[in-house]
Amino acid sequence: MISAFRELEGCVRVFGQVLRRLQVLSLPPVAEQLTRQIYFTGASATAGIVLRGAFIGTLIIAYVIDVLDADTALAVKILLWVVLREIGPLLAAFLVLQRSGTAVATELALMKITGEIGSLRQMRVDPFDYLVVPRVVGIALSTAVLTFYVQVIAVGGGMLLSALVIDATFDELAGSFFLLASPVDLVYSVIKSLLFGVTIAVVSCYYGLHPPGNSINAVPKAAISAVTQSTLWVLLINVVFAYLVFGQLFFGLVTAER
Amino acid sequence: MSHPDGASTPGANPDAGATALGYDAVRIIAGGNHCVRLALQAKERLLAATLQLEPEAGASLVVLGADVGSLDPAARSALRARIGYVPAGGGLLSHLNAWENIILPLSFHHPARLAGAAAQVHAWLRELTAEPRAWLARLPEEMGLFEKKLAGCVRICLEGPELLLVDDLFGGLSGAERERAAGFAAAYHAICPQGTFVQLDDLPEA
Repeated sequence: MISAFRELEGCVRVFGQVLRRLQVLSLPPVAEQLTRQIYFTGASATAGIVLRGAFIGTLIIAYVIDVLDADTALAVKILLWVVLREIGPLLAAFLVLQRSGTAVATELALMKITGEIGSLRQMRVDPFDYLVVPRVVGIALSTAVLTFYVQVIAVGGGMLLSALVIDATFDELAGSFFLLASPVDLVYSVIKSLLFGVTIAVVSCYYGLHPPGNSINAVPKAAISAVTQSTLWVLLINVVFAYLVFGQLFFGLVTAER
Repeated sequence: MSHPDGASTPGANPDAGATALGYDAVRIIAGGNHCVRLALQAKERLLAATLQLEPEAGASLVVLGADVGSLDPAARSALRARIGYVPAGGGLLSHLNAWENIILPLSFHHPARLAGAAAQVHAWLRELTAEPRAWLARLPEEMGLFEKKLAGCVRICLEGPELLLVDDLFGGLSGAERERAAGFAAAYHAICPQGTFVQLDDLPEA
């Protein structure tokens, strides 16, 4: 329990320090690290993530239409409430965690164990400025952009499938969708995906910089801790955020009295 | 640099000397080249105290004429900027190629000086008989130990430290590579004529 609090405090400290040190992004080597991180997390992952998003969005809408015998109004509500607000950001976050969170935790843990972080200190280069700040910012921005891609593809795929299955055209579904959607949904998605990205990056960096030992076994342990803790925090943030913004939890099973 | 916790020795002979020490006191006369041999533990303690500028309890640490114990954090930081250190394996980052490794500290601390760095690095590498174009794009895993040491030395020399500590300069090198590595000190003094080049070697185990 004490170690859990210590780890939470450590992650909060990492986040606070990132906010205080954002100005180092103007330094050429840090800006280059940021570019590399955005390329790795965002650009090079786009195809795979978008493909998975399309599969899952289509699958959800297919099941729901079949099980609930949905009409146009219900199909659009499911696309907006479930796919756009919840599944899109969560799916993007888990795919980023699966790909970049593990990579960051493993890379930093290896750098720590092999003495490369010590080498940076000997050169008077702050490892936090050089390694952590660009990773946190890069992963946060990439998660937000990937979330948008996943939402567009998942919702688009869902609409295409719905148009084939229920008695409504694609144009009708799209019209109903945009009538129901509001700017709050966009702001909600952007803020939530940024929060998810920051959480994944901060937790991964924390466990990468604090591997449990100096042997090579500490590297997978650091990666496992990063993944399990990030998953926990992403789910917790999702629940709290949904409740704060829409007054509902667990896809509307628990709703706040208004 | 002194650490008068035990016996103190006079400075190593500039440009030639090799002083064998197994205890805590090291005093090096400013300027020239020095070779200091220390037991592994003593070397690690000396390096930790000098690079972190944290004297051990009860000991004094004088670096480049400044008594570290009496300095405030800002002055310590400024003093640390005048000290360079090259680890035995070069201390390169494995995800950066040789060129990126070489310019990393300069781009952090003196980005304005980056413009002239390429020509300077190529000139040094030609002097040290390495073929610049052949290995500047290589990752550390593709380089030999001599090349790693060379990249580590060039990286630190670019910043022009007044005191350069090189750990185990000749360790693990072949005869031909040792001859080439002997030119590191001359390359350093070409940039810092008044600088102090200190080669730290391990005292052979009894």
